[in-house]
Amino acid sequence: MPARRRLALLAVVVLAAAGSFALGRFGAYLVHSVAIAAIAAMGLNLLTGFAGQISFASGALIGIGAYTAGNLGNAGWGLGAILAAGVAAAVASVVIGLPALRLRGLYYAIATLAAQFVLEYLFKIVEPLTKGISGMNIAPLVLLGRPVASDQAWAAISIAILALTWLGLARLMRTNVGRAFLVVRENELVAKGMGIDVVRVKLWAFLASGFVIGVSGALVGFTTRLASPEGFGLSLSIDQVAMLIVGGQGVWAGSLLGAGFVVLIPEAIQRLGEALHVANLLSAMREMSFGLLIVLFLLFEPRGLAALLRRLARGVSRIALPHPVPDSSPVVAARTPAPGGTREKAL
Amino acid sequence: MKRHSSRVPAILAALAFALPAAADVNVCVWGTITGPDAGVNGMSYGTVDYLNYLNQTQGGIAGQKIHVILLDGRYKLDEELKIYRRCVDQENAVVVKGWSTGSAKALREQVQQDAVPFISETFSSEVLDPAKYPYLFIQGATYEQQMLIGLRAAKAAGAKKVMLMHGDVEYGRAPVTVVRKSGAIEKMGLELVDTIEFRYDAQDLTAQLLRVKAKNPDVVYIQASTPQALVILRDAAKVGLPAKLFIGNMYNIHPSIPEQLGAAAEGFRAIQLYANYGDDVPAMKEIAAYKAKNQVEKEDLYFMKGWFGGKFIAAAIGNAIKKSGGKPPADIKAFRKAVRDEMVALKNLDSGGIAPPCSFANHQGPTQARMAEIKGGKYVAVGSWVDAQ
Repeated sequence: MPARRRLALLAVVVLAAAGSFALGRFGAYLVHSVAIAAIAAMGLNLLTGFAGQISFASGALIGIGAYTAGNLGNAGWGLGAILAAGVAAAVASVVIGLPALRLRGLYYAIATLAAQFVLEYLFKIVEPLTKGISGMNIAPLVLLGRPVASDQAWAAISIAILALTWLGLARLMRTNVGRAFLVVRENELVAKGMGIDVVRVKLWAFLASGFVIGVSGALVGFTTRLASPEGFGLSLSIDQVAMLIVGGQGVWAGSLLGAGFVVLIPEAIQRLGEALHVANLLSAMREMSFGLLIVLFLLFEPRGLAALLRRLARGVSRIALPHPVPDSSPVVAARTPAPGGTREKAL
Repeated sequence: MKRHSSRVPAILAALAFALPAAADVNVCVWGTITGPDAGVNGMSYGTVDYLNYLNQTQGGIAGQKIHVILLDGRYKLDEELKIYRRCVDQENAVVVKGWSTGSAKALREQVQQDAVPFISETFSSEVLDPAKYPYLFIQGATYEQQMLIGLRAAKAAGAKKVMLMHGDVEYGRAPVTVVRKSGAIEKMGLELVDTIEFRYDAQDLTAQLLRVKAKNPDVVYIQASTPQALVILRDAAKVGLPAKLFIGNMYNIHPSIPEQLGAAAEGFRAIQLYANYGDDVPAMKEIAAYKAKNQVEKEDLYFMKGWFGGKFIAAAIGNAIKKSGGKPPADIKAFRKAVRDEMVALKNLDSGGIAPPCSFANHQGPTQARMAEIKGGKYVAVGSWVDAQ
């Protein structure tokens, strides 16, 4: 990424984080909810959208992150608790991913589903680590000697971690390992033919994805201040998959858009219902309309909100600039293989 | 364009109606309007309806209109945490009435920081600590106290051997663990012959009921909700165990049990903390008057609990307004503190016969309960009020 673009991105992140302090508590809560969900969705996107491994165990991985951060945070680890949560979830993700070395597609998805149920059960019975069914109370994260308790502070922290995650994952995708993810996703036989160690690449995908999801779990734990088995069930995994479908797989912005959609649409429906004095009716229809929207996305825009927005932007620019864009424009230049080079190089 | 512009005033008018008037006293209530335990959401509707009843019949409380906001927590922790922030931050609610045990536990520290009176529908003893959580209230005997009342009644009827059945969720396991560890069952002179934990969403408990039959207890106490009680009583009848062997908690007084099970439910007993809907108590006259002009969503015991909660909130707000010279304190923080102080100071709260007169110095209000039994397809009180203490 050019230095100027990096600086612009940094400025946006700093402004967004600083802006969180101007929000009320409710607004800040929505911001950190979206940011934390987006971090987990990016982790899942790496595994599913980029490396082609469908997983239904992200809810349990978020749980592992929350419990690890809870235990270590309560022991005074501070920021180290968030990193440790990522490591714990990364290890669990690799273990869950082991069947993927032999299973593919739907069969592997079912294996992750089994892992989700096993972990949910473990959350209930490993009482020394999870406090069982009652759940674990989590003390506020201590940063620089001060407890982080306000939603505004969490919104700023979540935005910063989201930006770091985005940059880190985008950078990973520019490495050989990242490019290998794409080849493995498209065709494992071809990948083998190209000399790619498919097993190693898959394990990297599980590791990186698990780490990111675990970090998001740590943030969930510190913001809700309670980790209980009921909070990390299959419905959370399904929400994560929904974020990918709605936002768009294989696009980082899609994870953020999907998270925003899944977290904010129920609130928008609620407010609309209140304004029109049909809150109870709409409340009952909220889940249904949410499901309906996902079906509509699958039918009409399976590439998700990210692709929809790109199309809209293209439409707007066509209206604003009715004449065809000359071939020398940077967009076209980027898509055209450089003379004497490969298309990949030009990109 | 014309079509759009004609919609704008309608939308603005709708928004204007949705926003509270500046002088309103805001009270925020959330419950499970849609979700797994929506069957008992009369607890939320009852409170909302009572406060609206005061608006319609008395112009509000102490001359102040009450703006009641009812929200759907869907029994999802993240949704409930979000709603709490909206109630405190956006709606400026002077009192917040929440729902689940999980949210009460997750929010208990936050509630103290915000210093906002918070009433939860839970009966969990884990959130009941007036010294540590001075702004947190529940409304009745804890699950543990209900269990002890039930077992005491069984003991009085001659029971010697007892079994416990509970779901594999916090609501099921935690109270049973507390009572077992306390040794209260043995102190009563009862023998605990077995404890059975079952999957909370189990649709068949025949195997577990056969185990109950083999142990031959004199009484089985169930710590579960209505759907699980239905499965237990259905399968008990299947293996030849009578319903009178079982005692359930407050959430097992539900019309669906006698309606769905018929004769198989006859003799089943449960702990009753509030009067039944339709009982001959003064509060029913108020409810009937309200119902004559409004739609009442739920007509059950849980609605009565909600109505009781409304009376509790109204009494505290009314006293706080009176003490500040007939006007609510201008500062919301001062108003919340005044209401909390009045909640604790309430003595002999008259709930119109829904529960015995009670105080909230203990942060749980009525600690009395009585046994109700299904007779002729209806729950009938079979004893007088007993104090859980």
